[in-house]
Amino acid sequence: MAISVDAPEVSRDLAAKAGYTFPILSDTSTEVIRRYDLLHKGGGPDGSDISRPAEFLVDSSGVVRWVNFTEDIRIRARAEQMLAAAREIPH
Amino acid sequence: MPDIVERRRNLAPWIAFLFTLLAVALNGLTFVTLRGTQVILWSSYLAGLIALVYGIIGIGRAFGRSQVFGGKVSSSIFGLLALAVCALTVFIWYHARALPASTGAPQVGQKAPEFTLPDTQGHNVSLAQLLGHGDSVTTSNAGGAAPKAVLLIFYRGYW
Repeated sequence: MAISVDAPEVSRDLAAKAGYTFPILSDTSTEVIRRYDLLHKGGGPDGSDISRPAEFLVDSSGVVRWVNFTEDIRIRARAEQMLAAAREIPH
Repeated sequence: MPDIVERRRNLAPWIAFLFTLLAVALNGLTFVTLRGTQVILWSSYLAGLIALVYGIIGIGRAFGRSQVFGGKVSSSIFGLLALAVCALTVFIWYHARALPASTGAPQVGQKAPEFTLPDTQGHNVSLAQLLGHGDSVTTSNAGGAAPKAVLLIFYRGYW
């Protein structure tokens, strides 16, 4: 599931346009983004605070099994990497 | 009788211009597409480098071997343009990597911090729910098996 600072209406737009079916959550106050230490101050349009891109694979007990912190915003984690990490988690 | 020096077309500046346009297009593509950005980026850097090399060759020919080659104006313009695009590429590269250190983010093996946030319909969703810890009444896929894992994707936003 995806998290950003966008308000629910904006995320609805994105989900509709891209055809996403997974939950998209809104962290407009950046509270959760800061809890995960992902705040990118002034990184958004008009210098607004946004989240830096990062992915966490969390197992059913709530433990992080795989993380991806992109060093360059243009390069995103490949789906194969995420799926491989997910396959590593035992039932 | 002096040898007549054969005039040749100075194509180097034009080749430089072509690769300059290619470098710009490829670099711009990385902000629009989602897949293969690493390869596109390296291609754009290569195109920029080729543009710079031909830009220098063009200027060298126009000014250094002006008997043979023309194109003082075009080589100057396209050479400078190639240089400007290369400088822009470096600037963008720098900017795309200007990200916070995030040293406090949860590492592999640590517990993912709990949270509750509204979804696109305004309903509150918690991490515990997504992991199947909550009452089956409150989870959206009530009756289904708890997921093996959840992928949290923090992204910059839609703009």
